[in-house]
Amino acid sequence: MTTAAPVLNENPSRGRSTSLVVVLLLAPCVLLYAIFFVWPQIALLMLGFRAPDGSFTLDLYTKFLTDGYYLRLLWRTMVMGVATTAITILFGVPLAYLLARMRSRWALFLLVMTTFPLLVSAVVRSFGWMVLLYRNGFVSDLMQWLYLTDAPTQLMYTLPGTIIALAQVLLPIMVLSLYAVFRSISPDLELAAMSLGASPAVALWLVTMKLAKGGLFSGSLLVFSMAISSFATPSLVGGPRAAVMATSIHDLTMTVLDWNFAAVQATILLVTVLILAVIYGRLLNGSAAAR
Amino acid sequence: MHTYKFTRRTLLSGAAALVATPLLNSVAFSQAGAFQGRTLVSSGFGGSTMDIIGDAVFNNFDAETGATTTQMPMQSNAAFARMTAEAGNPQIDMYQFSGGQELDAKQNGLTQPIEGSARMESLPADMKDPDGNWVAWAVIAEGLVYRTDKFDEPPTSYKDFFRPELKGHIAFPAITNGYGVDFLVMLAKTYGGDEDNIDPGFEAMAKLKDETIFAAASDIPTLFGQGDIWLMPYDTGNTYKNQQAGLPIAFATPEEGSPAVKITACIAKGAPNADVASAAIDRMLSPEAQVKIAEGMRWTPTNPETVLPDELSKHVPNVSQLASLDRAKINENRAAWIERWNREIAL
Repeated sequence: MTTAAPVLNENPSRGRSTSLVVVLLLAPCVLLYAIFFVWPQIALLMLGFRAPDGSFTLDLYTKFLTDGYYLRLLWRTMVMGVATTAITILFGVPLAYLLARMRSRWALFLLVMTTFPLLVSAVVRSFGWMVLLYRNGFVSDLMQWLYLTDAPTQLMYTLPGTIIALAQVLLPIMVLSLYAVFRSISPDLELAAMSLGASPAVALWLVTMKLAKGGLFSGSLLVFSMAISSFATPSLVGGPRAAVMATSIHDLTMTVLDWNFAAVQATILLVTVLILAVIYGRLLNGSAAAR
Repeated sequence: MHTYKFTRRTLLSGAAALVATPLLNSVAFSQAGAFQGRTLVSSGFGGSTMDIIGDAVFNNFDAETGATTTQMPMQSNAAFARMTAEAGNPQIDMYQFSGGQELDAKQNGLTQPIEGSARMESLPADMKDPDGNWVAWAVIAEGLVYRTDKFDEPPTSYKDFFRPELKGHIAFPAITNGYGVDFLVMLAKTYGGDEDNIDPGFEAMAKLKDETIFAAASDIPTLFGQGDIWLMPYDTGNTYKNQQAGLPIAFATPEEGSPAVKITACIAKGAPNADVASAAIDRMLSPEAQVKIAEGMRWTPTNPETVLPDELSKHVPNVSQLASLDRAKINENRAAWIERWNREIAL
């Protein structure tokens, strides 16, 4: 739409046909989006406000927002999303940087290798983690061997176990988002910064990382939203004790058959994520503007 | 509704059926090619269970009647949710349930009577709906599943879950799993409560809340194989399946009684292939199918005319040895118990 604006100023008659073309080009997509996303989303939203007798009610929202159990559920979901995102940033940034700057012919092969976890079904991968995370499993043994703990640790059916399993599968998403951005930043910019007196670390931070912020934001947003909406991993690895919003919505829909309350939880999850995404985007941009 | 086209073939096969009827036990059902070109969609339990049921019932049924049966894998809860969502316009003709969902389904007007099954008529009264809306075609015994190498004497009671030397070696299913609810009810019964007085169950279970809670039968191999679990409440069918996979486990009947789970079938109201489904259900109740199901799954036959081979009958409890829980009451309380369980047990 924005590209059509200058044309409009130049030549009104041509502009009208251009905007008509734009409308026609967008129409199929908008129509599909409206029918298959916007409308169901509105229907879902309405479901949460419906009392058993069909009248309008805020009771279900009040129930969620005033009950410690449900607030803890929301909190746990957010902790899971933030922790997963933080871990993928921690491991993903160096990995993506190295892959992007690598001159070896193995670079492409290594990039494909990093996406490997995405190719394995979530259920199969979760079963793999179940074996590793049990009290007698590999991770527990490793922690004892490293003297991190002195007794077997049960990570299975816990939130940390879920976060570890989620971070593993979502790491490729972060790496791919950052890889594309790092590739587009010329190494010459770092060299230029260093020729003006910046140390390599400062050059990396001030030039490359600043420019890669867009990739970091999109990567984080993707990882975060996929983490909090994932179902298979939390339900298999986390289990009932580490219940999150996605598993709670599933139980309400499938077992309790309380679809209205499930709709409320789905809406609250969506709204919370939107708010967090806006705040995160502002923070990233804000820190750039301050410099 | 199904519109019927009257052709010469229909007329001929109709006439043939009329001639054949007096000769056959179950009306027209056993007639070869009766459902030529028809498709029956049923829910199924997934995995090897679905294959065994397919082999015991549907494969022969399809071959003889000309129908094509598809089982769609879904757990009972998911199946009931699907049935509710499709009320009035069912895409699945026939449902298989294992968690008492048939009672809710009937109560919510989602079912219609199974018609023309002679075998269903001869079933004991507690194995079928008085109005013929559902029928139990097998029963699963629940009880204690234990590691044979960790117990000198098999466990005998639900009280064994509280033996101090077993602390840290217990697992039990979450309440969203049907067996999780039954475990809660049996604990209540063990400590002086019942379906109406569930508090003793919650109090007992609270003592187990640091033990491992799992979600589904798919966790069992890992729990017994890796997770140093020695005792859990589950059923004969899954014990057998995991024994076959090489796990050193066995099933024991608790002295408080083995809760029995009815495996039922019902027909969705307005199902386009209700007649095919009725015939398929009749086939499920045939002694041949019931023996095959007992062989493959260790599920108890409900048709009293079924005679199991001696070797098999040692592993499959007779239907008279099982106690049944008040499923209607359990279903009524399920939502409230789940809420309470989430707060008090899964914390």
